[in-house]
Amino acid sequence: MADLTADLGFIKLKNPVIPASGTFGYGGEFLQFFDLDLLGAFVMKGVYSEERGGNEPPRIWETPSGLLNSIGLAGPGAEGLRGIIKEVASKTSTPIIVNVCGGNDEEYLEVARVLDVMEEVAMLELNISCPNVRSGGSCPAQSPSDTKKVVRLLKENTKKPLIVKLSPNVSDVPSVARAAEEAGADAISVVNTFLGLALDVKNRKPVFKNFFAGLSGPAIKPLALKIVWEVAEAVNIPVIGIGGIMTGRDVLEFILAGATAIQTGTVNIIEPTGSVRIINETLELMDELKIDNLEEIRGGLNI
Amino acid sequence: MKEEACRVITNTIIQGRYYLMKLESSHISENSKPGNFVMVAVSGSNDPLLKRPFGIFKTDPPYFYIYYEVVGKGSELLASKMTGDLVMVVGPLGNTFPEYENENILLVGGGRGIAPLYFAIEQYSGSNNLSLIYGARSKDDLLFTEEIGKFALKEKAFYTDDGSGFTKGQVTTDIKEIIERNGINITFSCGPDKMFESLNSEIGSLGISNFVSMEAFMGCGFGICYSCVVKGSDGKYKKVCSDGPVFRMEEIKWQI
Repeated sequence: MADLTADLGFIKLKNPVIPASGTFGYGGEFLQFFDLDLLGAFVMKGVYSEERGGNEPPRIWETPSGLLNSIGLAGPGAEGLRGIIKEVASKTSTPIIVNVCGGNDEEYLEVARVLDVMEEVAMLELNISCPNVRSGGSCPAQSPSDTKKVVRLLKENTKKPLIVKLSPNVSDVPSVARAAEEAGADAISVVNTFLGLALDVKNRKPVFKNFFAGLSGPAIKPLALKIVWEVAEAVNIPVIGIGGIMTGRDVLEFILAGATAIQTGTVNIIEPTGSVRIINETLELMDELKIDNLEEIRGGLNI
Repeated sequence: MKEEACRVITNTIIQGRYYLMKLESSHISENSKPGNFVMVAVSGSNDPLLKRPFGIFKTDPPYFYIYYEVVGKGSELLASKMTGDLVMVVGPLGNTFPEYENENILLVGGGRGIAPLYFAIEQYSGSNNLSLIYGARSKDDLLFTEEIGKFALKEKAFYTDDGSGFTKGQVTTDIKEIIERNGINITFSCGPDKMFESLNSEIGSLGISNFVSMEAFMGCGFGICYSCVVKGSDGKYKKVCSDGPVFRMEEIKWQI
């Protein structure tokens, strides 16, 4: 049987499948469906320092093979999350990643510091790319210099491995990825959602109060795969590929494009056991294609 | 709750654009109570992507029933399911109406929102004195009136907006008299938000216990996507799928 291990360097995951931030709650919600130990790791919903209610509804809109969301990072705040993390950690040994948000660099650091001292947290994922909360959808991921500044700030003041999650809504993602790498990022996760627009013709209004919303799901997979390939070419740190992954075949496509691990997103919302199915499908497909381990095909396109 | 492939036993037109689907699942049929709902995959592909929520209408283990109105692509796909087809279902989801004994309870249904109330009639009419008010746009949208007629209810009142088939009016038209006449101290309601708003202004301050089962467009159905929120009277958002769908009327911030 094929070896599914995904080696990020700073941690070895039993498999490459990591449910993504915002699509997996705080993990515990899925215990009724499956044993979290089956996963490579999982990412908790993004957290700010203070409790947030999130955006005014509507918050989602279905598109062909896709989903637009404007949830707005509702959550309990970093201190409030501590108890939730301890509770979930008592029920699984799978590495827990927490997605760190902030309205400015100081807040990113404040949140990261709270989580950095928790032994239950394996890694931090820096969310510099959420499209749904800042005015105009701008975030540090818009610029290499802003990215470098915030990543450096966190690396200098915290100890946990730091994954930097990038936005696809910039003209040159690889240059932002390189900036994160230069500032000490341990890995890159890419992509967050693509900004999209839904319109209501009858009322001549945008569907979402925030105007733009983030598109996810199988509709974005080819776009994401392209960016993952570009970023994997540009940096030497591990890349975690994200974007519309629904099947084991999709996983191997992202690995082939250069990803070391992947995150599942929308699939967790529409199919609670989807990530487990994807792990099983990946293993079956590797056996069928006689691939012994993921490193054998990572970035190994015949071109 | 579980995610499983359920076999379609029957999928037939009840009236007009309304269908009743009978599905097989021991888990769902044995563990559902009035208020619970299921998320159903309408297609085996990625389009439409989201499952759709349906209130459980009744159970007859190992079977359970849902009904739906054909209004768009998702429900059209559902209407095309044949006996023997498998559909992916997650459930049972959400909370339920509280269980009482020997109480005078009024059920108030609007339009498509009769599923949990019919289920409540079936489950609780033996142990409580139930009355029902049910209203819809027209007689074509008033569902299961014949089936409801088979149960011993203290009082039933049906209304249509256009006066077709039944008394012209809304669910609130005679509600105060019906509450008074039947010594009602508890209501269970299900319907569109507009109906809840009229109910709230009509009976919200009578000092009786009012429970509403809300409808919402949902992403996941089990509390992780945070899409189906409504504003609570405390100013905080509540998730219809996992904090509800049943709420005390005073927990929700109504528009009027």
